[in-house]
Amino acid sequence: MLKKLKHHQYGYLFIAPFIIAFLIFSLYPVLNTIFLSFTDRTLMSRTFNITWFRNFQLLFADKTFITAVKNTWQLWLMNFIPQMGIAFLLAIWFTNVRLNIKGVGVWRMIFYMPNLMMASAVAALFFSLFSFYGPVNQFLVRSGFIPEAIDFIRKPAIMRGLVVFIQWWMWFGQTTILLMAAMTAISVSLYEAALVDGASTMQMFTHITLPLIKPVLIYVLVTSLVGGMQMFDIPYLLTDGRGSPSNSILTNTINMYMKFHSSKGHIGAASAVGLVVFLMTSIVALLIFFLLREKKEQPEKQGARR
Amino acid sequence: MKRLFGILSVVIVLSMLLAACGATPAEEPAVEEPAVVEPAAEEPAAEEPAAEEPVVVEPEAGKTVLNVWSFTNEILTMAVAFEKTHPDVDVVYTMIPMTNGEYQTKLLATLGTDQVPDVVALEAAFVKSYVESDFLADIGDLQVYADELKMYPFVYEVGMADGVHRAYAYQATPGALFYRRSLAKEYFGTDDPVEMQELLGDFDKYIAAAEVVKEKSEGNTYMVASNGDFQNLFFANREQPWVVDGKLTVDPMVEKMIETVKTFRDNGYEARATQWQEGWFAGMNDTLQDAAGNPKKVFSYFLPTWGLPYVLYPNSTSADGASTTKGDWAVIEGPLPYQWGGTWLGVMEDTKQMDLAKEFIRFCTLDEENLTNWATGVYTNEYLKAIDPNVPDDQYQAAGDFVGSQVVVEKITASFDDSEMSNFLGGQNSYGGFAAAAPSVNARLMQGSDDAIQRALNDPLNSYLEGTVTLEEMWTLWKDAVRNEFPDLIIE
Repeated sequence: MLKKLKHHQYGYLFIAPFIIAFLIFSLYPVLNTIFLSFTDRTLMSRTFNITWFRNFQLLFADKTFITAVKNTWQLWLMNFIPQMGIAFLLAIWFTNVRLNIKGVGVWRMIFYMPNLMMASAVAALFFSLFSFYGPVNQFLVRSGFIPEAIDFIRKPAIMRGLVVFIQWWMWFGQTTILLMAAMTAISVSLYEAALVDGASTMQMFTHITLPLIKPVLIYVLVTSLVGGMQMFDIPYLLTDGRGSPSNSILTNTINMYMKFHSSKGHIGAASAVGLVVFLMTSIVALLIFFLLREKKEQPEKQGARR
Repeated sequence: MKRLFGILSVVIVLSMLLAACGATPAEEPAVEEPAVVEPAAEEPAAEEPAAEEPVVVEPEAGKTVLNVWSFTNEILTMAVAFEKTHPDVDVVYTMIPMTNGEYQTKLLATLGTDQVPDVVALEAAFVKSYVESDFLADIGDLQVYADELKMYPFVYEVGMADGVHRAYAYQATPGALFYRRSLAKEYFGTDDPVEMQELLGDFDKYIAAAEVVKEKSEGNTYMVASNGDFQNLFFANREQPWVVDGKLTVDPMVEKMIETVKTFRDNGYEARATQWQEGWFAGMNDTLQDAAGNPKKVFSYFLPTWGLPYVLYPNSTSADGASTTKGDWAVIEGPLPYQWGGTWLGVMEDTKQMDLAKEFIRFCTLDEENLTNWATGVYTNEYLKAIDPNVPDDQYQAAGDFVGSQVVVEKITASFDDSEMSNFLGGQNSYGGFAAAAPSVNARLMQGSDDAIQRALNDPLNSYLEGTVTLEEMWTLWKDAVRNEFPDLIIE
């Protein structure tokens, strides 16, 4: 059978496993989710009705859903912006020929370390640290910073800050490594030429580094966006799994999981949340591609870089 | 244009890929596709790195197989005992922990597929939603046995929906109030359970006593450890269920609960611990310290039958062994009758072993001999090993679980006069204490949505206690949260 294939068609064989797995494990679930979102299906009954847009109607009338969408964006932006800032700074320092920092490998490893820890372990650690009878309160009271213990777990601003911090702490190493990889790939001769022409460090950064790492930037931005829109494990495990206190760390995915996990298992309503999040993420990701598109280069090249 | 299309397709494929990864919890249980649903019965061990190891006993050749799923290894003891009286049956027992809801998730995912077990154990928090669902079989022909053994009504009422019996329980879990004898003597001049019940017999008295405790201890002893301790009591004494004709309803008892916990918080009667967390346990063995390092004590705990052997007793000695409260406890009915927790057994309608499954439930929950053996410590490890040598070494049932049959309870109460638990309670017969509390418990109002509705109140209530929201805002927050989980409920 293989003999019948022309030489240039072998490629199809090689990509077949991915395509098949994609159709079964990604496309089918997505289509099924879309179908479910138009039904009032629950896990506890054998029958269900097609209710068309009722789930969406209820969803947009539901303050909790709006809160969850807002929270998700806030939590993502608040951790992504400092994450990019720090990652840029570190990547520039580490790749700078003039600074020539020693032990880059060790630093890189240390920064990447938090990412290797299980989210559940990190969440449990921070929960214990900040609980009412926990060590943070003990330290602050005994050293006289605060007169009496604070119930951190019940303070919305503090818990939100914690989630942002944990997300930042777990992911800035990853972003640093990606940016460093992109920066080291830039030919040194470009910088040398710029130096000869008398360019400042800032000029080199904006005119050489930034344009050349743009594909990687887009990649980091889009993957972080997709990950951020689906933020689940840390906020879910940090408090009661319902985004408490006062829904301050309730994210889209927690909201979806709560609908699925309520006593009846409303998968129709949960799928509607999933679909809205999916559409929202896709539109914003497209927008990012559109705004950051390379105006002169060939599109194939962009694809190849990623 | 061509380029834009290229980017577009890349983005769609990429975001679908990633979005689909995140969306799986909602899709996995889709019933149309049983192939995707995991064969949970075969390998829960590989995925659940939980504290308790799932136990799966392999089927034996030539015997009828009965699949039983549970969330503790408790029922395995009865399953082994069942094999003794039914030698031609092999009970395949699967334990899936429910630490983070794994059990419920697995069970939900198998509903309507051919992977369903024959018999399932259902915990109080979710038993009612299964009893009200389309998936549990009618096992009402067992009611004659229940009448014969005089089962406490609330025990089988929980397993009923629309007049149909769908689940039975072997244990009854009436709640009680445990208090420290030494502290009672110090503050009230007596540690006698009868006199203490007089002093703490209703909530006004309980609040007055809390003031006494605070005053006499100069604020160093709290009446209770957490505000969560109260909730079951008030919820159990409502007159209307949460949902009446599809409408969310707030019973006056719920308002009273909020008023009470607010009083406790504002007056410093409550240690501000969280149930099942460090501080809550520390109070049980007298090692509670505030952030400045001052020792604090907790006067009383609201716990049900199982709270004595499984919660209070094991936590009554501190981790370093330096501090213990053993023998310093007593139990009374407390201000209000209530029930908390419990395990029910039901038969899945799709089972192919209907008669055998029913017989298993009859044996576990409505068999006088089995219940007596269960409660009096007959099921030792040696006893079980003699039936099935493969039983794990730590599998046994210690004496003292409070069973659901009045007939059995009356017969065996005296045998606990000198048990370990009775010594723990300073000589008081714990079984007798529970027997006094059990008949007044009412579970008729329990509904499938209770757990989710009550859980939704936790966070708004705590924000209100903390002072970050007003009472009005608390109700709005709660209603929003309930609306989010129950799209069909009418909420005003």
